[in-house]
Amino acid sequence: MIAFKNEWLLFRRSRLGLVMILLLAALAIASVVAGLVEVDRQRAAIERIHPLQKQDVSAIANWVTKTGTAGDAAYFTFHETWDPPSRLAFAALGMRDVSPYLLRVRALGLESQLYDSENYNPELALPGRFDYAFVLVYLAPLFVIALFHDLISGEREAGRLRMLEATPGAGRRLWVRRIGLRYLLLVASLALPLVAGGIVAGAHLQGIAAMVGLTAAYMAFWVLVAWLIGRLNIGSAASAASMAAAWLLLTLVLPALAHVAITRAVPVNQGVELSLAHRDAVHGAWDIPQEKTMAEFFRYHPEWSDTPPTDGTFHWKWYLAFHHVADRSVAPQAQSYRQGLLERDELTRWVGAVLPAVGVQAAFTRLAGTDIQAQLTYQDRIRAYHTRLRTFYYPYLFNDRPFTEADFAKAPVFAPG
Amino acid sequence: MTYHEPSGLPLLIANLVVDYGAHRVLNGLDLSIRPGEIYALLGGNGAGKSTTLAAIMGFVPPASGEVRVCGVAPGSAPVQARRAIAYLPENVALYEHLTARENIQYFLGISSERRTNAEIEAAFNAAGLQEDAFNRRVAGFSKGMRQKVAIALALLRHVPLVLLDEPTSGLDPRATQDFNRLLGGLRERGSAVLMVTHDLLSAADTADRIGFLDAGRIVQESVAEGPDRYDVRALHRHFARPVAA
Repeated sequence: MIAFKNEWLLFRRSRLGLVMILLLAALAIASVVAGLVEVDRQRAAIERIHPLQKQDVSAIANWVTKTGTAGDAAYFTFHETWDPPSRLAFAALGMRDVSPYLLRVRALGLESQLYDSENYNPELALPGRFDYAFVLVYLAPLFVIALFHDLISGEREAGRLRMLEATPGAGRRLWVRRIGLRYLLLVASLALPLVAGGIVAGAHLQGIAAMVGLTAAYMAFWVLVAWLIGRLNIGSAASAASMAAAWLLLTLVLPALAHVAITRAVPVNQGVELSLAHRDAVHGAWDIPQEKTMAEFFRYHPEWSDTPPTDGTFHWKWYLAFHHVADRSVAPQAQSYRQGLLERDELTRWVGAVLPAVGVQAAFTRLAGTDIQAQLTYQDRIRAYHTRLRTFYYPYLFNDRPFTEADFAKAPVFAPG
Repeated sequence: MTYHEPSGLPLLIANLVVDYGAHRVLNGLDLSIRPGEIYALLGGNGAGKSTTLAAIMGFVPPASGEVRVCGVAPGSAPVQARRAIAYLPENVALYEHLTARENIQYFLGISSERRTNAEIEAAFNAAGLQEDAFNRRVAGFSKGMRQKVAIALALLRHVPLVLLDEPTSGLDPRATQDFNRLLGGLRERGSAVLMVTHDLLSAADTADRIGFLDAGRIVQESVAEGPDRYDVRALHRHFARPVAA
């Protein structure tokens, strides 16, 4: 205990070490605050959309009730769907900055609506969000380098190493204490802001504990790397350069190469291409005989095949039918797109088993519910809701029932997970 | 520290051979030091002085022969042996951002030892450190002041064996004289001192015996006798002669 207290005194007096720890803590606090602010902003946006949605529906209802046409209601009414951030999302915003967490859908073709978001804010994908996972995965190892690069070589260069080694009780115990203290300070400077953020966000204890555990394990990995390099019996400058090279390799170069390899191994078209294919199918439908489109639609919805046929002029049921047929025509691409994303996710997890930077990032977004799986789950919910929405309008369209103001209230409501 | 060696010797080296790869550095070294004795080991560059210290502290394994520190073989029980040793390198490097007192507390803390402030101050006084330096950061300390801190540490640890590596190199004559007085203090407390040095005059001033190390073994040993202690001219002639092939 005396020895540990003395190590703390030694560390405290070396200004650089203390400044490093305080700087890392400041970065961790800033990232947690930025995460909480972003999550609050997303929650507020979701909250704001509800009254606006009511206003919008009410305005449409005022107009639609004059015609009583269900097709007008189906065409003009956007229905809100949303994916609320989890309590731990503040720590790893993951896909939430580039994929939508709010999507207003119509009963028309879904596929082009799902990927519309890929057409805006692409610049956000470049720098990424400043969140806790970013500070942990990319910045914290630099602080390990700053604190550990001269742990042994610094003593050698100062001429103290032999005197220390000759002191009874030094040797392994001394280094364990020294490394242990720095490690604990590093983990504390990262974990305390994270725990505080978790408490503010009302996150589950298990989730916070898992993230703290990941933080501790990731820092332990980097301390081990620093220790192994430190044992090479090289000077402080060479040690720092070697550690920086290891950082560059393990957090940037190898993950980037792995990303390229995964992208090439599992080619996946962009969602926007799917969206375009869907649009082509929708636009092409105008040139296809109505009976052909309707026959195709009845394959999927035979329950409406006995309803009166269309007469070649415009009818909303034909319009919604060809939208659905367009959805079905790109279904294989949509399935392949989804499958591709899942395969890439699976491969990324394998890479994560070898590259801690990738593994920790993936584990954080998984725990925070902000990974590709969460995005696909939200898409699944939208798909299920969209099906309910279509089938809600079909009886009005195929039975030529008028759509009244009261019917707007009967429309299915999206239920987030 | 209690002596376990039947002979009561803090340091006993018998027929010690140390090799660095194919190169034989110590070649049948015999050396023993009694409690309260100061032994100066002189020798040219590459004679094996530093290796002798390293072997005593258990940093290099002997090819044959033996080293005993208070009866303990440093090679097989280094921690136990080092408990009996205080080592002062040529340049005593302390932690610059700690005060003299904190440095003492730090080094004592490594071996889980604790001393009161009064004990530390008494050791500083015995080592001749000025009172105003006790609580000053050692960053501005001279080599002599740093040595006094290290000697104070040795005094506080009550070690039977003090190893000094070139303690007077770079010291001015007054500081050298101060240091030699300090060695006298260690002798009075019963510590054995092994001083590895190039400084013949300082060795002649303080040492009870002077050994000349050449090619890994002691080739001549002189004992202090009478008021003049040594024939310094004769020692110098021996010290300055060409190294044996």
